[in-house]
This record gives sequence, structure tokens and C-alpha cells, in this order.
Amino acid sequence: MRNYLSKINAILWKDLVVEFRTRERFITMAAFAVLAAILFNYSLDWISVSPEDIAGGLIWMTIVFAGLLGIGSTFHLEAQDGAFHGILMSPVPKDAIFLAKTLSNFILIYLMALLVVAVFALFFGLEIGRNLGMLAVVIGLGVLAFVALGTLFTAVSTGTRMGNMLLPVLVFPLLVPVVIYGTSATSQLLAGRSLAQTEGSMRMLAAFALMACFVGSSLFRFVVED
Amino acid sequence: MWLGLVYWMSFFWVSTEVTQGIAQRIFYVHVPAAWTSFLAFGLAALFSAMYLWLRDERLDRAAVSAAEGGMVFATIMLTTGPLWGKIAWGTYWTWEPRLTLTLLLWFIFLGYFLVRSSTENPEKGKRHAAVVAIVGALDIPFIHLSVIWFRSLHPAPVVIKPEGPTLPSDMLMTLLMSLGAFTLVFLGLFLLRYSLENFQYEVNTRSRHASV
Repeated sequence: MRNYLSKINAILWKDLVVEFRTRERFITMAAFAVLAAILFNYSLDWISVSPEDIAGGLIWMTIVFAGLLGIGSTFHLEAQDGAFHGILMSPVPKDAIFLAKTLSNFILIYLMALLVVAVFALFFGLEIGRNLGMLAVVIGLGVLAFVALGTLFTAVSTGTRMGNMLLPVLVFPLLVPVVIYGTSATSQLLAGRSLAQTEGSMRMLAAFALMACFVGSSLFRFVVED
Repeated sequence: MWLGLVYWMSFFWVSTEVTQGIAQRIFYVHVPAAWTSFLAFGLAALFSAMYLWLRDERLDRAAVSAAEGGMVFATIMLTTGPLWGKIAWGTYWTWEPRLTLTLLLWFIFLGYFLVRSSTENPEKGKRHAAVVAIVGALDIPFIHLSVIWFRSLHPAPVVIKPEGPTLPSDMLMTLLMSLGAFTLVFLGLFLLRYSLENFQYEVNTRSRHASV
């Protein structure tokens, strides 16, 4: 078990160090998030709609779109110079590769998601202080599910002629549960409602995230083998 | 030919049996199309899983054939549904769980065909497509649960059910006849498509051997 975890750790650390040095993916996603919030401000009629009603939905859609941008380049580094063959030939099991990639994507996109929530709270005057911990957990679970499915299908779409254009087509239908339960929980937490209803959504989100990670790691080897 | 006859018969029968409004007869096309598409997509996912497990090329060909059949019937359901909805419910679209589920299934299998045809390496393409089909099939229960839950929070303004909970026997018979006809049409399409795939494979193999 420790050996397995150390293998995951090796790939995870490599990806995080690379990202930390260049920060390209994070900056692009963060810029997207802020600019999207600005455009949202002008696309909605604030007289007839109050921010608290729609904030949950807007936050999640921004996370999904920005996250899709960032996830598309998960395997770009490995695609160059045949580096991916190198990783596949190493004694690391395929599902460990998948989990490592998923975790590195998760850290990246989770930070971006927290930024999205902060930016929306700033721009639209939302009260996030009330249930900050639960909010962080809800966002985390939703992002985990998103990242697990996104990483699997990025591996699929990277090998196609259409590349990352295909990624939304593959991932969006499967994201419906994440959007439904995520926005419901987020809206309730932002509005300060009781936690009883939110717990149901959180449990479904957690189950879905677990299932996504499990399915992704089981099927990843069929995607990357030669 | 026999299939066509059965199909035509069920249309014929429908015209003489139904006693309610004429537009309600779409029911006999719409519902069996839905059930057949679910059957077809389920088979496609099953064949995909078996293909990944056993690596028999025939299973991949069967999966593609079933998926194509499923797309045909899902498209029928998604076009007859809104037409019927406009007349019966007054609106073209509603976020009713079954329509939503079929729409999402349609897109999942659109992804299946896109992946299969646009992957650089065709062999990889078949495997990737099989993965898409399996993930899609596994996610469907989750999606269905979440959509039903969503709708329980947001009840639709129009909740008219065109058919009652218990069907009169003649309508039930017509429905079952239509379902049988549709299933036969699907099986026919599936077998045709499967043999077409087999011929294609034979032609490819023979031309490769001939050129060697």
C-alpha cells in the first residue's frame, strides 16, 4: 500500500512542481473565472433577479467551463517526445497514474473553484462566511467528481482528431448530477438554510465522486494501453 | 418484409382501435421507441463491456450496431415527444425525467460515435468508444436519480398525463403490438448492420491479404 501511494505521490509531485513553476494553467483558469463573473454581471437583470437566488448556479457553471479549459491539457506534457510511453513502461500501475493525474487536477481546479466562489462573493455581495466549511466541502466533492470524469475523457479525447473540442460533448451529460446536487447544496448554504437538506445533496455528491474515481481508475488502462 | 408487414399492421390496427383523440395515437410510436432505444443502448453498453473483457472484434461490431439502432429509436422518441407534447401539454419541451434521460443518452452515444470515428488509431478508437459507452451506462442511474430529485423540488406547472394509470385492454394490446413491432424492427436493423460490419471487415482483411 505504501509503495502504491509513493508511486502516486511521485507523479503527483512532478505535476504540481511543473504547474507551480509555470502557473500557466492556473492563471488562465483564474482569468477566465473573473472575466466570466464580469460578463455575468452584464448579462443579468439585477432588478428582477437577486444574486442569492442564482449564485449557486452561476458559480457551478463557471467552475465547469473554466475547469474544462484547464483539464484539457492534462496530458499535454506527456504527449510530447513520447513521454507517455515512458510512464506506461514504468512499473507504475495504470490506475495509480489515473489517480495521480486526478489528484493533481483536483488540487489545481479546487483552488480555482475557491477563487470563483471568492470572486462571486465579492462581485455580487454574497454571504459566504456563514457556512464556509460546508461550502468548501461541497465544492470539493463536486470538483472531485468533475475532475475524475474529466481526466478519463481527456485521455480519450487527446487521441482524437478533434482533441479538446470533443471533451465537453463527452463530459457534460455525465455532469448533470454534479450540477444538480452541487448547485442545490451551494444555494442552500449561501442562503443560510438549515443543513438537513444540504446533507442529502452532499451525500449524493460524495457517492457520485467516489463512483467516478472508481470507474475512472478501472477503465483508464483500457484507454491508455497500446 | 415480414417486419414491414407487422409494422404496417400495427399502424393499421391503431387507426381502427383507438377511441380517444387522434393525436394521442403518437403514444403507440413514442413509448415503444423509448423502450426499444433503452434496450438498444443497454445492449450496446453490455457488448462494449464484454469487448473490453474478451477482446473479440465481433463484440465491438455488435456494440456499434446496437448503438446505431439505439440512436435511431432515441431520435424517434425525441422528435415524437415534443410533437405530442405541444398538443397534449401545450409545450414542446418539458424537463420530464424520461425525456431528459433520453436526451442525455442521445448525447452520450453521440460522443460514442464521435470518439469511434475520429480517433487517430482505429483500434484505439474502438476501445475508447467502448469506455464511453460503459461510463455512460453506469452513470445513467445516477443521472436519472438526480433528475427525478430535481423535479421533486421544482414541480412542473403542467402535470397532465395523457394516459391514465390503467390502460383499457384494446389500447394495451395496441401498445404491446407496437412494442413487439418496434423490437423486431430494431433486431432487424441490428442484424443487418452487424452483417454489414462483418462484410466490411472481410473486405478489409481480404484486400490487405491481396496486396501483400
